[in-house]
Order: sequence, then C-alpha cells, then structure tokens
Amino acid sequence: MNSRGRWYRRGLLAGVALLAMLGLAAAVGLGAEDAAKNATVAESSAQKTDDKVHITLQTVPPRKAVVKWGSKTLGVIPVPRPLVVVRPRDSGPLDLVVRAAGFLPVHTRAYTFSDSRVAIKLTPVSEKNTLFGYRAEVPPEGAASPDAGATPPAAAPPPAPAPVPQR
Amino acid sequence: MKSALQSTVLASLAFWVGCDVRGVASLPPPQTASAAATATVAPANKPPAPAAPAPAAASKAPAPPGPSPLPDADRALVVRDGQESWTSATGAARSGYTIIDLGDDWTPYIFEEHRGADGQSMPNRYRRVFLGLANDTLDEDGEPLPAGEKNYLELYGIPPSLGVLRARFLEDEKQSCHQGANLAAMEAVETVGYVAPEKVKEEEKRIAHLRGDLESARKKANVQTLTELAGKDPKLEPKVKLVERRTAEKLAMTEVERRLACEGMFKHGGKHSAGVYDDAMRLAVRRFQQKHMIYESNYLRQKTMDALARPPLANDQEALVRVLRERVVAATGVVEDGSAEGKTGPPTYTGANGRSLLVRNLVEEMTQAAVEQLGLTSPEAALAFFQRHSAADLRHLRAAVRLPALPEYYGSNMDLSIVIDRGEVWYDLPWDAAGVRHAQPRKRYPSFHVYVKYKEQRIPLTRWRTTIGGWRAEQASDGYEYFRYKGSDVGPRVIRNVVAGPVWIAPESTPIRTLVKTKTVNGLWQRMVNYDELGPGFLSAYGLIAGYLVVPGKDGKPDWDNGIRAHGSSEYLSMYSSEGYSHGCHRLPNHLAIRLYSFILRHRSMRILGDQPTNIARQFLLGDDVFEIRVPSRGYQYLLEPPLPIDVLEGEIKGTLKKPILTYVPKPGVRYPGPPPAVPSSAEGRAGGASPGRSAGGDDEGGAP
Repeated sequence: MNSRGRWYRRGLLAGVALLAMLGLAAAVGLGAEDAAKNATVAESSAQKTDDKVHITLQTVPPRKAVVKWGSKTLGVIPVPRPLVVVRPRDSGPLDLVVRAAGFLPVHTRAYTFSDSRVAIKLTPVSEKNTLFGYRAEVPPEGAASPDAGATPPAAAPPPAPAPVPQR
Repeated sequence: MKSALQSTVLASLAFWVGCDVRGVASLPPPQTASAAATATVAPANKPPAPAAPAPAAASKAPAPPGPSPLPDADRALVVRDGQESWTSATGAARSGYTIIDLGDDWTPYIFEEHRGADGQSMPNRYRRVFLGLANDTLDEDGEPLPAGEKNYLELYGIPPSLGVLRARFLEDEKQSCHQGANLAAMEAVETVGYVAPEKVKEEEKRIAHLRGDLESARKKANVQTLTELAGKDPKLEPKVKLVERRTAEKLAMTEVERRLACEGMFKHGGKHSAGVYDDAMRLAVRRFQQKHMIYESNYLRQKTMDALARPPLANDQEALVRVLRERVVAATGVVEDGSAEGKTGPPTYTGANGRSLLVRNLVEEMTQAAVEQLGLTSPEAALAFFQRHSAADLRHLRAAVRLPALPEYYGSNMDLSIVIDRGEVWYDLPWDAAGVRHAQPRKRYPSFHVYVKYKEQRIPLTRWRTTIGGWRAEQASDGYEYFRYKGSDVGPRVIRNVVAGPVWIAPESTPIRTLVKTKTVNGLWQRMVNYDELGPGFLSAYGLIAGYLVVPGKDGKPDWDNGIRAHGSSEYLSMYSSEGYSHGCHRLPNHLAIRLYSFILRHRSMRILGDQPTNIARQFLLGDDVFEIRVPSRGYQYLLEPPLPIDVLEGEIKGTLKKPILTYVPKPGVRYPGPPPAVPSSAEGRAGGASPGRSAGGDDEGGAP
C-alpha cells in the first residue's frame, strides 16, 4: 500500500472510531454533556493526552443500572455494554450509588489515578442473607440458645489460653 | 528543561566560586559546632547550652529582599544583620548552611516523590492529598474543599502550609477577637466544669438555692462576704467555694463563647444555646483545639482556656513555630526532642574524647536557631514577615540557616533500635456481669523508646507515650458484636516494612457501623464507605505511617506477622488519657510517627519499593444497602535492610488474670442468637481496628461496654 493509501486507511479507521464512540455514548443514555465528553475522548485518545481518565462501569450479573454520583446521574449502564465515565486525572474519587431493579443498591467508589474498570456485583433483594453483615433474627424471648447472652466469665476461671504462635 | 539547565549551570558556577553567585548574598561559613555540641555534663540539671546566637536581632525587622536573579529552584532566603537577601541554595548548602524548605509544596520525607535506580519517578498517591489538606484546597477524600473552608489538621499530623498561616496572620491582624475581652474572667478559672445540657437548669436552680442559703447564713453571722463566712464557719467553705466557682465559670463561659464565635468556630456545630455546653459548643471547642494543636478532650480544660485567653496573633505565632519545627526537623533529620530526659535531666553518653556528653534536645535547639535567624521571634515580627512576602513568594520559599552541629553519634547508617515497655497491664474484664465498669488504674503507662548504639553504649534518644491493646468491641461472623481482648505481643521483633499512607484492610471482624459515614457528595448528603478509617489518611486506623512488627523468618521461612504495628494515629486520647487502649498496636501521634520513621529511613540502610497497587474489593450489608470497599493501593513502601530491631517488654501484670482471655466475650445485656463464634486469627484481623462510635481525638476509646 502506498503512503496515500495508508493515510486514507488511518483516516477511515479514526472516523469509524469517532462515530463508534459517539454512537456508544448516545446508546448508553448519557446526557448531551457526557456524549460530548465521549466525543472529546475519541479526540483525546488520538492526541494521547494524559489529563483524563476513563472509568468503565459494568454490573455483574449484567443488568441495566442507574449510576448516580451524589445528586448527579452519570448515566445508565446499557447492558451488555459498559458505561464509560471520563474524569480529569487525579481529581479525587467518585463515590457512586448503583441501582438496578430487583437488586440491592450498591455504594461503591471509582478512582481517578488511572484508567480503570469497575465491576459492580449486584445482589438480588431475596439473597440479602448471603452478604456479610446480614444479621440473623434473634429467636423470641425464652427460645434463645442457653448460651445466648451469657454473662461474662468474670468470676469464673477463664478459658485456657490458646497457645500463642512463637518462633 | 531550561530551568533545570539554568540550575545546573548556576550550581556549577557556585561550586567554582565558592557559594557566591553574582547578585546574591555571599555567605560566611557556618560555625562547625555549637557550644552545645561539645558540652560536657553540667554539674546540676542544667539544660543544654543555647544554640548559636542569632545573627538577626529579634527587635529589628529585616528589610525585604530585592529581586533575585536566581531561578526559583536554586533560590534561598537568608537573613544577615537584619537584612533579607537571596542566595544560591546549592552554594549555601555546600558552605554548611541548612536549607529549610518553607514552600507550600513541602511534605515530610515519607511523602516525597522518590526516583528509582532507573531514574523513573516513583509517585506517592497520598502526596497530592497531603498538600491539598495542608493548603486548605482539598478535603480528606481528596475532593475540592468548599471556598473559605479550613482544615485545621495540625493536631492530626498535617501542619498548615506557610501560605495558610500567612492568610491567618493577615486576617487576625484585622479582627478584634481579643479587644474588649474580659481577661480577668478568663484568668479567674483554670477550667470550666462540664454540666450536661439537660441538667443546666437544674444545676442553676441548685446553685441559686445554695447561694440563698449562704446569704442567709452570712446575714445571720453578720459578715460582709461569703469568703468571710467561710472563714468564720469552715463547714460552709466547700459550699462557698462551689458557688464562687460556678459564678466565675459562668462569666468565663460567656467570654469563651464570644471568642469562639469571633474566630468562626461555631460554623459547623448547629445552633448553640448561650451558657450551655451543647454539641455545637463541643464541636466549636474541638475545632479550636484542632486549630491550635491542643491535645485535650473536647472540654474547657487548662490548655484550651490558656489559648482562648491569648491574643489571636500570639496563637498564630505559636502555630508558626510549630510549623517551622516540622520543617526544621525534616531538613535536619533529627528526632531528639527532650522526651528522653528523666528526673535527673538529660541522659548522657561518653564521646570519642572520653568526656561525658548530654543527649541534647536537638528539635528545640534547631528550631529556635532557625526562628531567631529568620527574625520570627514575636507575633509582630512574624506578621511583618508575612506582610512583606506575598503568597506567591511562599509557594516555593526556602531559607538558608546556620544550625548547630549534629552530635558525633549521627551518621548515614546508625545502629538504631526500639524498645516498647507495656507499662502496667490488666487482663481482667473491666466490667462485671451487670455491665458495671470497674476501674483498672495504671501508674506506669506504655512507653516507646528509640535508642542508638554508639561506641558500645545504648543512648536513649526519645521516650514517648504509646498504647497497648485492651478489651475492644469486635463483630463476629454471626453479625453480632462481642468483646475481645486484643493484646500486644511481647518479645523481640523487627520492623522490616514501613508504609507511608498505609491502608488498613478492614477485616470482617470490624464493627460494620464504623465502616460507613455520611458526607455531602456532589450536593447530596449520602452514606458511603468510611475510607477515613481505612486510609490512606490522617484518620486511618494506621495513621499517616506504619511500621510492621514481625518475627523474622528463619531458614527460608517467611516472617511471622501477628498484625501488630507501630503507627501514627489521630486518636490522641488513646495515648494521653488514663483509659486509652489500642487494638494491640503501638500508636504515636501522627506528627511523632512521621518524625520517627523519617529519622529511621534517613539514618539506616533502606530500599524504596514505592506504591503498592492492589485491587481489593469487598462488600458488606448495612440495612438494605450494599457497601463496597475498593482499595487501589496498600500504600507507599520502604524496606529496611537490615530490619530494625524492636523489643516489646511484658510490663507489670496487674489484677487477677495473668494471661489474656482469647475467646469472644458477650456484651452484658445483649441477646445473641447462639454461642459466640470462634475468633479470627488473620494478621489484619488482629491489626488496627475501628473504635465504636469513634471520632477524631478518640473520645470513645477505652472499650467500655
């Protein structure tokens, strides 16, 4: 391929990439401002600037989810594609809340040190008891285990201490 | 590039012509050793000889320096005969001057950005946040600070920049917080007693009633004053004193409220009711204590009252000296702060010449020498300094000062060691079956000692209060909280890894309620993971820097890590109160931990490993929301080669139990779904830990049920 052909091919690829980014931004439901940012991303990438980072958000299992950053809705994760958020590099973390119908809301954080991918695990409301921190209900009064609420062994001799590992 | 080239050329030039560069000050060589450096033991408890005399007279304000032909990178301020001028930092350093970085872009050594052997930069993630906090531009999460907001984090190891202090001086010069103040009312009391808000009216009634009774008795006794009454009838003396104290405290409280309001301290505490020590008042006092680095609980105790009675500029001057102290310590790499002194005065050692020498308080010697040479010895002089130096001037300001020589035991590879004495230790439960707390008094508290071995002598350099573990609340695998004794290991250990901006990976035993906080995010008040607790940050469980205590592995086996660290902490009351304990770690106030590890890293062989990226994510449930902890880095790592020896002494075991209980103990009065689960044994499970209802300062330390 001659030089002119190579440049033509590069230009075509860049155009396709730009259109794809614009299309993706529109498809994932970002606002006009964010779509414009994504358009900028394509240009920025071409110019290899280091002042922006791309944060790619996706849900596991893949479900459509709204991503909020405080009062601002950053967008909707348009499964199966991710939502890409562009932020200035080193501009501080983003504390996000991700909500999907039928699942518990997830509070997570994304960082702006470098490009990153955040996979947010969603838990169905019905499986709440599988999460750490879930507290089983205490049996009703009178039905508790004999050990429940045991008094501290202040007066009784303490349990034999477990051997402390030493080398 | 151009600037670097200029810098190199100027540095070379400085080398060839001595320390002079055309158009800048010519510096005489500094004295090689101060009188103190060679002082023999004084016969009595005499303090070390004073530092070298200051060239600038304190009363004479230096004239502003003229424009400098030097590039910023090689420009240092010098004050001679009361005259400020610029000199070449490179040349001055070659001539034995110490260059003190006074710039707004200064961080302690531990947060500096180093370069690897390949010349590549090794960035420190927390540096940006540290600078933002010191300059009042970022909050603890690294997000922009709202305009006009102040951080006041000196108490937690982040001193304000000189730019921030400049603004404080200029602002305080204009305000009138001290004018018209009833100083007599402030000075009449040492403290103001705390009365719970809901009991204020009741207490007022009680005092009014008491006063009425005493007045009747006074009339009956036919005396003029209540004091005379007390003299005549000693039985009434306690009641008279109580009434007089409450009257004096009420007047003082009015003055305190006025002063706190004038300094803008009520900004965040909600509505305050006059005369009541309500939450707004407590927060205002805490903010004032943070601003002035006062290590006291959030009440009107003596140091707080003293600072409230001082003119604002006098407090600013004290802040400036404290800020300079950390800069001087960073520039000189010293750690001796006089804390090793005993009742008989400073410790001694035998020098190379066979004479007995004192261990000097180098931190104060050096700081005072710098303050005097820069002519910053009074609030007026400091104000004048900030008036003649613009904010832009301070951004990269450095100063050349002549400091006393270091002791002969100093070197690039000092034989350092640490001893931690656990003091008096209680293993007994601090409460009974009914949940009633029982005192476990201690006369000897845990202490942290740094030594250097020199000519077969072990020389004590510092002696600081620290913590050992005690009874703490912990979340078990059944989702319920129990108490667990989190002790501190005894015996020889080493510190191999030191981490700046460490991250504490909260184990599953951490009470979940401590892992969530609320904050305004993008205009919305919302709940989020409490990254303050995890770090990196000044509120982190590991503070701003941590050394990891391990038993070194032998025969190719890895080190044994039981989760005990020696780290900085913002919970200063856990170190300074009688009931303070940790989760097993040995805590130091953040600023001392920074000094300690900066000193160790600069005076021992070590390797910089830099940022330790990770990709840890963990979810937990609170209510109907899932919170996800995401940790991108474990911190910035330094490797001590060889590791630093540390010995933890058992101390004196008090009480009945001579060994700690190692299982969970149910909280009195709490109903549980079954017997307590087994305790976790991971290192992270042992280490650090969030305190229930914890706040900076550690008001809630102590693990009471």
